Order: sequence, then C-alpha cells, then structure tokens
Amino acid sequence: MNFIKRAYKSTKVKMGRTVLLTLVFSAILIFILAGLIIQNASLKAIENASKSTGATVTLSTNIRNAFDRSDNSESDSEEGRPDPGSFQISPVELAIAEELASMDNVASYNYISSTSANAESFDAITSTDESSSENSNSMPGGRMAGMLLGDVTISGTSATDTLSAFTDGTNKLIEGVGLTDEDIDTNNVVIETNLAEANDLSVGDTIEVTSTSDEESTIELTIVGIYESSATVDSRMMQMSTLNPANTIYASYKVANTLKGEDYENTVDSVVYTLEDPGQLQQFVQDAEAAGLDTDAYMLQTNDQMYQQMLQPLENVGDFAEKIVLLVSVAGVVILSLIVILMVRERKHEIGVLLSLGEKRSKVISQFFVEMLIVLIVAIGIAGVSGKYVGNVIGEQLLAQETSTTSEVAAMDGNGPGGAAAFGGRPQGGGGGFQSFRNFGASSSEVATQIKDLDITISLEELVKLGGFGLGIAFISIIIASIGVMRMQPKKILIS
Amino acid sequence: MLEIKDLNYWYTNKEDALYNDVNLTFEAGRLYAILGSSGSGKTTFLSLIAGLDVPKKGDVVYDGKSIRKIGMTQYRNRCVSIVFQSYNLLPYMSALENIVSAMEITHSKQKDRRAYALAMLEKVGITKELALKNVQHLSGGQQQRVAIVRAMCCDAQLVVADEPTGNLDEQNSREIILLFKRLAHEQQKCVIVITHEKDIAKECDTILQLKNKTFQLVK
Repeated sequence: MNFIKRAYKSTKVKMGRTVLLTLVFSAILIFILAGLIIQNASLKAIENASKSTGATVTLSTNIRNAFDRSDNSESDSEEGRPDPGSFQISPVELAIAEELASMDNVASYNYISSTSANAESFDAITSTDESSSENSNSMPGGRMAGMLLGDVTISGTSATDTLSAFTDGTNKLIEGVGLTDEDIDTNNVVIETNLAEANDLSVGDTIEVTSTSDEESTIELTIVGIYESSATVDSRMMQMSTLNPANTIYASYKVANTLKGEDYENTVDSVVYTLEDPGQLQQFVQDAEAAGLDTDAYMLQTNDQMYQQMLQPLENVGDFAEKIVLLVSVAGVVILSLIVILMVRERKHEIGVLLSLGEKRSKVISQFFVEMLIVLIVAIGIAGVSGKYVGNVIGEQLLAQETSTTSEVAAMDGNGPGGAAAFGGRPQGGGGGFQSFRNFGASSSEVATQIKDLDITISLEELVKLGGFGLGIAFISIIIASIGVMRMQPKKILIS
Repeated sequence: MLEIKDLNYWYTNKEDALYNDVNLTFEAGRLYAILGSSGSGKTTFLSLIAGLDVPKKGDVVYDGKSIRKIGMTQYRNRCVSIVFQSYNLLPYMSALENIVSAMEITHSKQKDRRAYALAMLEKVGITKELALKNVQHLSGGQQQRVAIVRAMCCDAQLVVADEPTGNLDEQNSREIILLFKRLAHEQQKCVIVITHEKDIAKECDTILQLKNKTFQLVK
C-alpha cells in the first residue's frame, strides 16, 4: 500500500501538475458527461414522446378490394363496364371493431361514423363567394357521386377528446363538455361556436336535424358543448355548407348511424385505435390478422407520423451525443496518454530511484494510476457541476437544429402532420371523409407537435457511467504510458 | 557474503571488455574501497554488484546464491542498498518520508519505522526539524547523509556507494566516510565504496584498484 501513500504525497506536493491534469481531465469528462446526459435525455424524450403521442391504427373498409369486386362483377355484364352509381362500400361491423379493441396494447379507441344531415330547427352557416355571386351564394348541399349532401356534417364518435381535431388543437371546447363513452346512447351533441351564435344557441338547447336519405327521419339533439374551430378549407369547398367547419356537429356514432338508415345499425365507418406503444404498430396489425380479421373486406392503416416526426430529431441528437462520447473518449485517451507519457519522462529519475530500491514496476505503474484516480475524483466533481450546463447548451442547440431540419424535410416531402391525413388519407381519428376533406389546406405547422426542450438532468447513473469512462480513459492512458516504465533501466537513469 | 566469479563485462565488443574473469570476495563487517581512474569501469562494477545490470559472463553470488536466481528486483529489494553520488532521493518527500518509504518498500523489520528513522537521522546530525523538511531544502551534505541513513535503515547487509563524496567538501566527505565505517563495523554490513579519491580510500579497511581490466589489492 506504500504506492498509494506515495501517490497521495506526489499529487499533493506537485500541485501545479495535479491542477493541470485535473483541468484537462475535467474538460474531457465535461464533454463526455454532456454527451451522456444528452443521450439519456433524448432517450427519455423518445419514451415520453411515445407515451404522449401514441400511434394510431385505423380499421376501415378495404376500398381497393371493394373497387376490384365491383369491377369483377360488372365485367360479366353486357356493356362490360361498371355502373358508377352502383359502387357499394360496406361499413365496419361493430363486433369486429370490439374484438380488436380488446387486444393488448390498445390504450383507447374511437368509433367513427359520419354522415350529412339537413338542419331542421336552425340554419346552417353558409358562405358567399364574391367572384361567383349567383351560383355560389348558398349551397346548402347537393348531390355528389350519388350521395346526398345535407347542410351539416354529423361527425359520429365515441369520444370527442381523442379525435385528432381536438388533440391537435384545431378544435377547442370553449363551453360545456365534450362527448364521452357515456354519451353513446344519447342524442347529446357538441356544436361549433359560429353555428351556435348564428342561431342563438347555447348549452342545454336542443336542435333538430333530418336525414338526407329519409326526410321523415328527424332527430332532436341536445347541445352539451360548444367548440371553436380554427380549421380552414378551400373557398370553393366553403360553398358547400356541409364542408364548412362551422357546420360540423359532433354526436354519438349511433346518432350518425340512425341518420344513415337501418342498414347502418351496429356498424361504424372506421375505428381509430390508439396504441400504448407506437413501436408495437406492426405487431398490432399482425395480431389482428392472426385473430382472423378479413383483410379482403377490411384494412388496417397505421399512422405514427407524429411519433416519427418527434422521434427523428431526438434519434439524431441521441446518435450525435453517442458520437460525442466516443470521440471525446478516444481524444481523452490520446491527450491523457501524451500527458502521462510526458509525466513519466519527467519523473524518470523518481522511477529509477524506486526501481533501485527494489520496487516492482507494477507498483510504480499502480502509483501513477492512483494519482490519476485522485485527479479523476476531483475531475468528476467538476464535470458533475458544469456538465449539466454544457449539456444544456449543446443539447438545446442540437435539438433546435435537428427539429428545424426535420420540419423542413417533412414540409418538402408533404409528410408533415396533417399532410397525408388531410389529403383524403385515413383520418387520425378525425371523423371520416368530411373531416379529412376539411383538413385540406391546413398547414403542417398548425398540427405539428415537436419537442423543443430536452430534460437535461444529471442522475447517479450518469455519474457512475462517467466514472466508468474516466476510469477506462485513465487506465488505458496509464497502460500506454507504462510501456516506457517497463523499458526503463535504473542503471541508465541513475548512473550516467 | 558477496562473491564475484569469473566476471566479464563489455558494452559493444567482447574484445573491448572492461573486465576479464574477475574473481573477488567481499565480507561482512568490512569497508571496501574500489579505486580507479575515470572510465576504468568502477561504476559499471557497482551496477553489477548492486543488481542494476547483469554480467555478460560469470556471476555475482550473494550468500551462496546467484543474484540471477534471487531475481534482480528481489536482490535490490532485500539484499543491497545503494548510495549514489547524486543522492537520488525522492524530491517530493521530506528526509524522514524518504527513509520510511524506502523501509516500507524493502519490508524493513523495524516495528516503529518512523521513530527508528528519526533516531538514525539524529545520529548523523539531521535534527527532527530538518528531517521533516522537503529534501530539496537540505544541503548536499545533508542530502547525502539522508541517503546513507536510508541505506542504513533498510535491512540489506550489502551497501554499495558510488562516489558518495563526489559532490561534497572535505569536511562533509570525512564525516560521510566515518558514517560508512560505523555502518560496516557497528552494524556488521559489507560496505563497498567506489571512489577516485585516494584520501577517502585510505580510510577503508580494504582497497582494490581497478587497473588494466583487473582488480589489484592495494591494502
């Protein structure tokens, strides 16, 4: 243990050398710690992102197969071409939707069933287009592709709070309450504030709507909540009042089904399943298919764009942090090895004296190692105090840069949130085709949710890791430098 | 105690050997002086008997055992103490720490190493106050005394000194050689002093002169 005492003594007496080594070692450890905490923070952020964004799988009718079936059946006909008006899309049966909802990893689900209806006891919001005054002054609805369009859209759901329009902030509930599971068997609705103001409606009032397919079918709806929408649509679409965001009435999916007609009982247009772990998206699809989902009739579309957009910059930051740790460690070994080699040369005489006294070379090397350990302990302390600040600065800058780059790429690719979903793609719990249509034109920034801050904190785990890195660097440096010690001959040093 | 058997040593060419078949015996309780002119190979001889180098031919035998078999590090650690012309003390330690450290390295059997070292330092005129000072703050004579005490305090029976008075004035040189005498006679150690100073050599029990690659007994 004599070499430990010598190491302590040498470190204490040779204060200049000790301070220099401590500063160099501290600088190396600060960057390693910064890398480690950025890496850890990005991992935590990824974990949180997966929890906060979730990922969705939408169960809907397999439209492509429905088209194909339609083509095949018509090819046998005399004319040899399909009748455009005869195309039929079967809705999703509720029993199948419920079976998938009971699968593992499903955090929540939302039944979507939308339709159009005519305003009975109130007036729908209409828009005017000055450039085409006569025709477009008021277009309450109309017939489009064999489908009757009413004045308003009844967006049937099982809960409004999980709809993407509400989660991404496009719609904000400003009065009353949203719809929940408890409202499924009720006629409760949530209406847009402009519609409410135009008709002097408030929470607790009732309104009446009529089915577009059966004018005899009128339903009385009770307003339980009022929301404000910031959705924008193309002016030409605004001419159709049913596509006006202000004319969307959120109701239970059962209300929408009733308005559609008896054939739609116990069905939904689509179901949006939100998963607990976005990483399990493909597994969910595989499990659903393994459970016997008819993939000819139904399709499952995964959507983790939001998660992916949040993930990419974080992964880049994490990768960069890993490289920082690696590079600084290698640089640390090189720098410290050079310093220790110089230190060994400077202390050649001391080594010669020790060897002449019969001290083992291994103990001489151990003395240097202990000296380095003493320096390491102080350096870890310094790094622990300042590493957080350096990590914060580097981390924030990296994330800002990565987030900006990812957003630009996403915008250029048209893959930004709201891009694919808005353009007729499957909704993120949006409320069927009408909702998707209305999202057309919404900019990606409106719905983009990105992580702007990293939670840079130093935990005991990171300090232990840092200690491990420091120990490794010190060990390798001493091993490299000790090659010189192994070759030293006391005779050559002491007798000249 | 120490036997030199058929010792041969050369640096590059065998033809330029420093010694040819040297045979010598050194006994405990005696002070030896090895005289020789510069470049005669005195210091090389010291390195060979101190276990800092190995003979090209022949052997160095300590207490009947070849130092190669003992192991050079083990030999330096247990059997021999070396006193150098330039003292070779650890610069970041005090005189006392230098001695105690050496005692620890050589596994000295003294129970209270610190007290023993202080007592020995006191005997050579190094007070406790001086003993606690960093060695770099001591004079050359004082440092050499510390180096000698370091050799005395270790349990090695063989003490070799390379020009121990080379850096000292006449007064200090005389005191140092007296110390070596006491070491040989009182502690029954075998002390071999390499020197080129005849006055110093005269004080020794035996004088060997290295001349023409052989050792001649002068006294």
